[in-house]
Amino acid sequence: MAPSLYLDRDTWIHRLDPRTKMFLLLGMFVLAFVFLSPVYEAVILLLVLFFGYLARSLSNLLRIWFILVVIAVFTIILWSIFGSGRTPLFLFVEREALLYGISIALRIDATVIAGMVFLSTTRNEEVAIGLVRLSIPYRFAFAVSTALRLVPTVAATGFTISEAQRSRGLDLESGNLIQRIRKYLPLLVPVFISTVRSTNVFSMALESKGFGASAKRTFYFQTSIGRRDVVVLVVFVALLVVTLALRVAGYGGLEGFTR
Amino acid sequence: MKEIFTMWRHTQMVVLVALSAAIYAAVLIPFKSFAIVPGFIEIRPANVFPVVFGLLFGPAGAWGSAIGNLIGDFFGSLSLGSIGGFVGNFFLALIPYKLWGAYFRNRNMETNVNSGEKLAVYIATTIVASLACADIISWWLSLLGLVPFTVALALITFNNAIMGSILGPFLLLALYPRVKRWGLLWTEIMEPDEVATSGSYNTGSILVWFGSIATAVAGVFLGLSSGGPNATVIGFGLLIPLIVILIGSFMLGGREQVEAAELMDAEEETAQVR
Repeated sequence: MAPSLYLDRDTWIHRLDPRTKMFLLLGMFVLAFVFLSPVYEAVILLLVLFFGYLARSLSNLLRIWFILVVIAVFTIILWSIFGSGRTPLFLFVEREALLYGISIALRIDATVIAGMVFLSTTRNEEVAIGLVRLSIPYRFAFAVSTALRLVPTVAATGFTISEAQRSRGLDLESGNLIQRIRKYLPLLVPVFISTVRSTNVFSMALESKGFGASAKRTFYFQTSIGRRDVVVLVVFVALLVVTLALRVAGYGGLEGFTR
Repeated sequence: MKEIFTMWRHTQMVVLVALSAAIYAAVLIPFKSFAIVPGFIEIRPANVFPVVFGLLFGPAGAWGSAIGNLIGDFFGSLSLGSIGGFVGNFFLALIPYKLWGAYFRNRNMETNVNSGEKLAVYIATTIVASLACADIISWWLSLLGLVPFTVALALITFNNAIMGSILGPFLLLALYPRVKRWGLLWTEIMEPDEVATSGSYNTGSILVWFGSIATAVAGVFLGLSSGGPNATVIGFGLLIPLIVILIGSFMLGGREQVEAAELMDAEEETAQVR
């Protein structure tokens, strides 16, 4: 079991400063929200996939394809029911509502894949240092990075406990809803206790190593915005401006859809 | 709400944030959810944790739940919607300990569900916190035009409330004595002057309840009355009741819980000396 999406590859996207990657991720989110037309949204999705290809991280799609499909199907059905348009298609579904549903499905999938590319190319340590460099308080960044590091350990503990309880006859699949929910108790209590009981030792270890001893910190792991980062950011901002200009000029809309 | 910032001074609270977040995110992975409607509505056992974290670890539980949910999204569903999840889960853990302190002030404030009254208050606070969390996330998703308000509201409220109400009391009964023995309750770690006080518990409680219910009712009404879930109408129309939840949370304070814990510790020490 490998809960982390990070892929250790040597690509220019991997080598970018974590702040640049955070801005790119944010920019991708903005790009995905500019258009309403499914055709334009599909182009944005292709752009995100192209980034994923350059980062050699598309293999992670195999791990999240089910989520992407469920989100897409759910979204299309939902907006076909809740949205309305001018052109009847079948039963109570209008053409514009269906197109909007497809557009939103592509939009969500594009943002989720953009998040996947970010996580495939950015280590936990880089996320933490990126947050600090963006003036997020160190203690908060420390909590985020520690939690990220501990997830595989806690997940492995949970998996072991789950297997142990099943081998003793715990059957999570039988009974009504309430009975099945209550059966999770012998799993959740040990996970909680085995993790939380280390809090005091953990805190003492941190303080003995000078955690919070001085306001200004230095870091072993250094990052800096280089020429490559500047070029990437300039190109991306230009792309964003062109996209917004296209939208203002009236391209990429969806005529006839009402919510 | 002062304590959500001052808690970062305590190393133990920082560690509790990290551990709570790790538990919340990690339990999503090995303990698979079970579907009510396959692919659409599912119950996640991990959803019990935010309310329990809030009652045991106070502000550390709130930050832990928010970060844990975000990390959960890191494993395959990170998107702009994750911002709503962060804020919603923060309030899912924050509201229970705030309301608990308001209801049991000047009485036994222990966050242990060992009486009928405490169980009833626990379930009520779980339901209102689930509703507030669902209001925030649904509002955000609706504002982005991703999911209709009514659909998101129903799914999130059901998911959080059912797991928190059924599993939460048992979990608290099992965990509270241990966490107290380890000295990890937030009321034992923080100092009274680091926590905000309140002179208007009743108004604060009423505002949280009113805001949570009003947001849900107004969201459903706006979504249906304007011929569909209009993102702009819902986005601006629900701002006021959402702000009411925020103001109510600010008014609830929490210092009395810390003072009560200090008093209880002093009494226990005196009893031991005797």
